[in-house]
Amino acid sequence: MRIAIDILIGISVFFAFAGTVGLLRMPDAFSRMQSSTNIATMGVLGVIIGGVLYAIFILHDSAMAIKLAAMGVFYIITNPIAGHAIAKGAYKHGVRPKDPMCVDKYGEDLVDE
Amino acid sequence: MKKASISSIISTALLCFVFWLLITGELAALIKGEPSVQVLAAGAVVSILVACFSARFFIHERAFYLLNPKRFFTLLFYAVIIFPIELIKANLDVAFRALNPKLPIKPGIVKVPVDLKSEYAQSMLANSITLTPGTITVDMAEEDGQLNYYIHWIDVKSQEPKEAGDAIKGTLENWVRRIWE
Repeated sequence: MRIAIDILIGISVFFAFAGTVGLLRMPDAFSRMQSSTNIATMGVLGVIIGGVLYAIFILHDSAMAIKLAAMGVFYIITNPIAGHAIAKGAYKHGVRPKDPMCVDKYGEDLVDE
Repeated sequence: MKKASISSIISTALLCFVFWLLITGELAALIKGEPSVQVLAAGAVVSILVACFSARFFIHERAFYLLNPKRFFTLLFYAVIIFPIELIKANLDVAFRALNPKLPIKPGIVKVPVDLKSEYAQSMLANSITLTPGTITVDMAEEDGQLNYYIHWIDVKSQEPKEAGDAIKGTLENWVRRIWE
């Protein structure tokens, strides 16, 4: 069981690493956000699932396991809403990539309104 | 703003109470068979008060909809099996894109038609898309009776609304429709 927990945490460390590299390398704000969802999903979920298993099988602490699972659920529910709000706010505020995007249907439709 | 009905207040209060149990750690005490009456009573009062004020923002159509076991288990199946598979595929894709020395990205905002009626279904699909790495729902708007999502996509494979929709939504839309409609 200890090995399974370590593998889960290792996977999430890999994804968090990839997300951070993406965050530094991506050319514009929106692509950076895409890369950071990498950390936000697999990076966090792996650690939380690993933590729940650790609490159940090694610490034998069910209250801690339940709290961790509740944290995971809240994380999954709230994270996309924040991401959506940031993306929309950035676009409405006038943030645009330096190299024009290959297609921008949202900008075209906003002009019509 | 729609008005809150009694059923929506009850279901919001139930949900608040479940989260109270989870966060105060009372659920573990209940399982052991030694619940503290004070904590339970305080939780009940607080969740009913909160529900009275916030039910109209939270649940305003068909409050006991998910109590239908078939729908509930479909939701559970979606949340535990279907969605994580999509999530892992998309995660690997974006992770290797970021680590690739050539950085093969082609960002753009595409317009995708969506045929879902229920508000819950619409927001659930939008949030599922945002949570998947590589796609972010920027906005949703109705045009001539057809609901459209504007989705920022890191690797635009198609600019046609229909094809882009099939590539992004995959099977998710059908599952969401099965849960809520």
